[in-house]
Amino acid sequence: MNYPGSRQPPLIAAEGICKSYPSVRALAPLSFKVARGEKVALVGPSGSGKTTLLYLLAGILQPDQGNLSVDGKPLSSVRPGRELSQLVGMVHQQYDLVPHLSVLHNVLAGRLGQWGLLRSLISLLWPHDRDLAEAALEQMGIADKVHERTSHLSGGEMQRVAIARLMVQSSQIILADEPVSSLDPARAEDLLGLLTGLAAADGKTLVASMHSPHLIRKYFSRVIALREGALQFDIPASEMTDEVAELLYDLDQAEAVVWEAGS
Amino acid sequence: MGSRKLRLLESRRLLTLLLFGAFAWSLSGVDWLGPTVHTGGPGALLRFIQALFPPELSPGFLRLALVASFQTTAYAVAAITVAVIVAVPMGLLASGAAARSAKTRLPIAVAARLGLGAIRSVHELVWAVLFVSAFGLSSLTAILALSLPYAGILGRIYAELLNDVPESPLRALRSSGASPFKVFLFGRLPMAFPDMLSYTFYRFECAIRSAAILSFVGIQGLGYQIQLSLHDLLFNQVWTLMLALVGLVVAVDLWSTRVRRSLVA
Repeated sequence: MNYPGSRQPPLIAAEGICKSYPSVRALAPLSFKVARGEKVALVGPSGSGKTTLLYLLAGILQPDQGNLSVDGKPLSSVRPGRELSQLVGMVHQQYDLVPHLSVLHNVLAGRLGQWGLLRSLISLLWPHDRDLAEAALEQMGIADKVHERTSHLSGGEMQRVAIARLMVQSSQIILADEPVSSLDPARAEDLLGLLTGLAAADGKTLVASMHSPHLIRKYFSRVIALREGALQFDIPASEMTDEVAELLYDLDQAEAVVWEAGS
Repeated sequence: MGSRKLRLLESRRLLTLLLFGAFAWSLSGVDWLGPTVHTGGPGALLRFIQALFPPELSPGFLRLALVASFQTTAYAVAAITVAVIVAVPMGLLASGAAARSAKTRLPIAVAARLGLGAIRSVHELVWAVLFVSAFGLSSLTAILALSLPYAGILGRIYAELLNDVPESPLRALRSSGASPFKVFLFGRLPMAFPDMLSYTFYRFECAIRSAAILSFVGIQGLGYQIQLSLHDLLFNQVWTLMLALVGLVVAVDLWSTRVRRSLVA
């Protein structure tokens, strides 16, 4: 397997990982490596296993078989909480903020892995690490919303709050599940600029599920394509042309037609 | 086909039919030919209604009504406060949301639910009778008798509300390294809070009514005064006191509406 910077030990190493749900196989045995600082776009038609793979990388799900290690440690041996939150952080498709809390509290939730119980309790009323959250919001360009109720924000602003939360969590790997699927093109570019800029500035590694070839070429360094849970191709982002993308999505349909005809 | 028939048997329609049947059957128990109303009933009812125009409004009696209203409100406030203090941790335990592992979750949740069920299943009047024999006719009796069943009810509802919050924000908190208790603090509690608060206000209204009822064991307050006036057949006094009770409940309702609105906005 060739990947950029292959002389360094890989940050993420997956060897033959599989994951099945009761009725469907989500990931066929899958192996790949990701080096520190890479910006990986996961592509593939819906149901190809992108979200499952992200959840495995986030430690939310465990692989049925195979080894998945991050920074040299098997992910299954990393204790959830402080240790895991330093390795991986995730922006979810629906931002997944707590709408009833202020923006400040939602951002500070990224510190929950670091805080003790008492500090978390006190912070509900008198927020700790406030300057950290304010700096993150400043960088996201929404410093004026610190005390706003999160439910009052627009979709784009919520997305920025979710990223600010990830910034204060300060994990080595940033995972993003379809970060721009619900944004219009201009806002999507804006957000990817922030996300990849943030990753580049702090030397973090980004893995995001994406669809648009144009955005992938512009903001990512590498493309891993999945189809029905199996690795389809693994190429530099510059080679992700519209034709390649069309093939990836069309191939699926073509095969489906053949499959139906054959059965 | 067979399973379809079975489903029909279990359907709500069957339950509705059974309940209607039970109601119809109960009608046969009424003695339709005999007197359903007391001989002096209509006259007494008329006198009672006439006493509303006007109710007793003398300064002395109004002062008495005010003091009684204050006593009843004070018992209700104290009781609901104690009930909330007990119900929040018990509700959290009963919801199973704070358990660190699946192994401890079930036994703790079951134990908490049993505890809440036990104190809830005994009516406040029965608790009052028990506590009167232990503490006498003191405020302690009133507050304990009210707060126990109310803690049981609130704790049960809190557990449900804490469990019913949307899952995805909680998942995000977990992935930023939060333990179950921190997920409760920053996720479940804030999301369930508006509903918990409005249910607590509703229960506070109920506590006012219950505090008045405690007069049946001799506790001071509106209910006690209603009983005294009723014994003396002073219906216009009874009306004054009942209007005071209605006023209290309406005031709590208005207050809760305002608080809820400020929370949702």
